[in-house]
Amino acid sequence: MNKQEEYKEDLLSQYMSPDSTESAPEGFTTNIMNRIRLEKVPAVREEKFLKRNLVPVISVAVIVVLIVAALFVPGNESDPTALSFLSLLKNLRASLPEPDFSWLLKISLPSVLSYVFIGMFALIFFDRALYRLFHKEK
Amino acid sequence: MDYKGDIYYIEQILSGKSNCFRYIVEKHKDRAYNLAFRICGNHEEAEELAQDSFLKAYRSLASFKMKSSFSTWLFRIVYNTTISHVRIKKKGVLSLEYFPADTTDFIGASSSEDEAETEYRSSLVNFALQKITDEEKGLVTLFYYEEMSTDEIAEVTGISKSNVKVKLFRARQKMQMIIEKAEKKKIAYHE
Repeated sequence: MNKQEEYKEDLLSQYMSPDSTESAPEGFTTNIMNRIRLEKVPAVREEKFLKRNLVPVISVAVIVVLIVAALFVPGNESDPTALSFLSLLKNLRASLPEPDFSWLLKISLPSVLSYVFIGMFALIFFDRALYRLFHKEK
Repeated sequence: MDYKGDIYYIEQILSGKSNCFRYIVEKHKDRAYNLAFRICGNHEEAEELAQDSFLKAYRSLASFKMKSSFSTWLFRIVYNTTISHVRIKKKGVLSLEYFPADTTDFIGASSSEDEAETEYRSSLVNFALQKITDEEKGLVTLFYYEEMSTDEIAEVTGISKSNVKVKLFRARQKMQMIIEKAEKKKIAYHE
């Protein structure tokens, strides 16, 4: 770099330094804050999808697990895999009516599962309804 | 009042205290305004653009990833807002013939010859800055006024690091050529 180039480079550095920045005019912050007050939607943190829909997601997951279990776990009550689960439901079965689901995809579902599904769907519905209600209040 | 850091105020705003945005504006307004002004070259437009950029930042604050620097993120918004504005509004090219040939033009009622020389040089650099492209103005401003590294400039502008280096080099060359022409004009004027 020769002297002439050095001089020009110095000139740029000298007159374009952080000390020579332009300052924002008076009332700049107030103007922005006034415009922000007119904003209809405040800048609030968006909840993540999973956090926002935690209950429905868990409910759907449980339903899927139950359906898969109903399809793949043998219906034989002596089978050790299903034994513990079925013994848990034995007492319930006595007090509930047993709907016949054999017409549905030719699957023989344990009758108590139908009540579980209905319960799950009800939970999903009420969770959504309550979520909307509480978020409207904010 | 001590500034508690960008992240602290962002957390406050996101939890519903929108008034805390005032502290963020106060902290960054001069640098944001300077960047907008150096690119568009007009005080009224720069004020409007800088304010629009702050509002854009406020609206998208929830999407700001706390991992990166807030000022870099804000500068990206200011840079993009200003560049898109000046691209729409095409400006006429300044001609060197309108630039004063001598420091005497800068001597005011109360200023000395030395002050006039400083004023002349400062105007010359600003004049050269107005002669380069809008993108180059942004790069030069971030490099000189903000003293950002080429890595940081690349992050703000979205241009690759190697491209930033090339564009900065060209911008500096252009500005130096303009300064050289003006200096020659000054010498010729005195001869």
